[in-house]
Amino acid sequence: MSRDGEWIGDWLDEPGAETAERASAASDAVPERIETLAAVPNPGAVYLGALGRAGRAIVTTSSLTTSLPDVALRADLTLDRERLDAYAHLVGERALDTAPPGFVHVSVFGLQLALMGRGDFPLPMLGMVHVANRIEQLRPAGVGETLTATTWARRLVSRPVGDGMGTQVDLVTEVRAGGELVWQGVSTYLARSTQISGLTVLDRPEHPEFVAPTPTGGWDTTLRLSKDYAAVSGDRNPIHTSRLAARGFGYRSTIAHGMDTAARALAALGPRRGDAFTWSVEFAAPVLVPGRVAVGVERRDDVDPADGGTRAGYALTVWDPRRGRLHVASTLAHA
Amino acid sequence: MTSTTPTPSATSPDTSAVVRPSGTAVVVGGNRTPFAKAGGHYAGASNLDMLTTVLDGLVARLGLAGERIGEVRAGAVLNHSKDFNLAREAVLGTTLAPTTPAVTVQRACATSIEAAWDLANKITLGQISSGIAGGADSTSDAPIVVSERLRHTLLKLNRARTVPDRLKLVGQLRPADLAPVAPNVNEPRTGLSMGEHQALTNLQWQVTREAQDAVALASHTQLARAWEDGLFDDLVTPFRGLTRDAALRADTTAEALAKLRTVFGNDHPEPTMTAGNSTPLSDGAAAVLLASPAWAAEHGLPALARVVDAEAAAVDFVHGQEGLLMGGAYAVPRLLARQGLGLDDIDLVEIHEAFAGVVVATTTAWADTTFCSEKLGLPALGTLDTDKLNVAGSSLAAGHPFAATGARIVATLATLLARRKAALIADGGSPDTPVRGLISVCAAGGQAVAMLLEA
Repeated sequence: MSRDGEWIGDWLDEPGAETAERASAASDAVPERIETLAAVPNPGAVYLGALGRAGRAIVTTSSLTTSLPDVALRADLTLDRERLDAYAHLVGERALDTAPPGFVHVSVFGLQLALMGRGDFPLPMLGMVHVANRIEQLRPAGVGETLTATTWARRLVSRPVGDGMGTQVDLVTEVRAGGELVWQGVSTYLARSTQISGLTVLDRPEHPEFVAPTPTGGWDTTLRLSKDYAAVSGDRNPIHTSRLAARGFGYRSTIAHGMDTAARALAALGPRRGDAFTWSVEFAAPVLVPGRVAVGVERRDDVDPADGGTRAGYALTVWDPRRGRLHVASTLAHA
Repeated sequence: MTSTTPTPSATSPDTSAVVRPSGTAVVVGGNRTPFAKAGGHYAGASNLDMLTTVLDGLVARLGLAGERIGEVRAGAVLNHSKDFNLAREAVLGTTLAPTTPAVTVQRACATSIEAAWDLANKITLGQISSGIAGGADSTSDAPIVVSERLRHTLLKLNRARTVPDRLKLVGQLRPADLAPVAPNVNEPRTGLSMGEHQALTNLQWQVTREAQDAVALASHTQLARAWEDGLFDDLVTPFRGLTRDAALRADTTAEALAKLRTVFGNDHPEPTMTAGNSTPLSDGAAAVLLASPAWAAEHGLPALARVVDAEAAAVDFVHGQEGLLMGGAYAVPRLLARQGLGLDDIDLVEIHEAFAGVVVATTTAWADTTFCSEKLGLPALGTLDTDKLNVAGSSLAAGHPFAATGARIVATLATLLARRKAALIADGGSPDTPVRGLISVCAAGGQAVAMLLEA
């Protein structure tokens, strides 16, 4: 599944500008076939299912299918009050009657997993890294609102990873209240060691050397906090919660959930984010736990160059202040 | 803020063109959550969540987004140590300008009326031109503390340098030391709960069950009517699915109240205090905006009522000299004496209903010649016309999140006074006729704050 953040490879220090194409373009391509589920699946159950399907699902590099399932998964949901309280208090938001954008993400995450856990999904769910995430919020989603989430996959492409090639995919989720589009997310995942021939190949992006901005804050990461985020988000990937599992995947220690780190950086901005915005996140080196990270909130006039515009907003950067390593490069562009 | 303040040249309180003397603070508007029952709708909300949400609601209602307010002054009674800077943290969570200064205050149940008083003084002095007073309290999200033995041991462990020292310290702990301790609001000096204290006061003033139940019934009936009349449309923002005060029982009756079993003073010969005539444990928050008349006018906002004066009192309940919650029997007569006013000059009176017995005992004391001359050296105030009292209900029906109550009352009373004034003028009355309101809020530690408002 989504292993947020780093891999130990050269691309780690190169947040991919090629990832997470503009969220608003996503709605163009909803597959015609839609499978409606009774509810957003519980991520834990999806993991177990994936583990149960021995072989392919875990870390294999060869796959039976080489194209994305032409289906969207849909489910109704209401944002859970207690879970929102726990989420908000954990990441440093106020627990109000509307949800921060990252909470909508964790609330629909089970749909993404369910799609990636399907037999006709070409990439191994448990071998994927969350490399980028882009959320367009048209208005805050309210607790108790009846929402409908629809998730599909698109843009299966090859990209250079270290000396080899990996495969990257966007999972698009839109959340509507009635017919009204409220929230739209594009999560970009990379299967580092899955190679599929015949796909469009992205260029290796060029990245300027990371220069740390002036810190405006920071926080300590602990395994306890990772476990709390795993509980509230449902993302119980053991790479975040078990040292043994993390070592198995080649990390010195457990790593923080990428969306947890990103959400804390957004919380550092606070209510200045406003109600309507695009929140773009690129994950670079993973946050090793325990440790300390610095966050920098900078006001910018040109935060959304991806769509050619110059929107006002903020750059939100998270890095390792001792090693000068970038963890998260994100922007908040006001609508 | 003193008796030398000239008589205001009041005009319609609903226009922004109100002309008031300089050196005046006015109540501009308020906002609160509906008050929830402990463990109810707001069980998952912290004081910070609730304070933030009422400030945000006030900002939204009055169009203050991005505004730098002179000062936000707010607090909570049940405090978490992590909330040491509660008011400022709340401001940073709102759309108010982040350059808005804030102070965290605490005066038990008089926290937010104290905050309003402080701000009115600063505004009157011309040091600030706007301020928001507020309070939030959650009895559901109350801090749990560890036992004193565990706390001391943990602190020593932190200082211990060697492993044997640490082991020795840990070895001293007993299982019982590990049990968490829930907070209570018993009086630290006496060990008695507020209810037990009030039961003693009720005995002393011979407050009957019937008198207390009548206060409770009026509170529910009048709060229900105020909701029906839309009084709270401008004063309350729904929160977490709650749209009205959860403790309110619009259909309660004297018979229903009379059937409740007694909960305090059960050692006394004829206990009278029930869950019906005592405030329920509640969660909620409230905020009230004060400003100079000029600031209000510049922002196109109403000057609902002027803060005329305020007075605090504290009584010696520790040595049995006075009842714990009788501070209002001192603060109000002193305030009125300073202003040269009597109860007949007051149009509306708000007495915080910590317990129905507080209202009965306080008003009885006001009318008691012996009490007033011996304890206050003042003539008795006389009998309060109950038609003036808590006309839109009070804490028994609304609930009482400790620190929020003062701001609730100030905002509600100012709105009621402004409406009365507008009605008076509409009926051909003189705009120069003052409409006055009096507040009395009792608090833990034998304290009370009284405040005089005028539209």
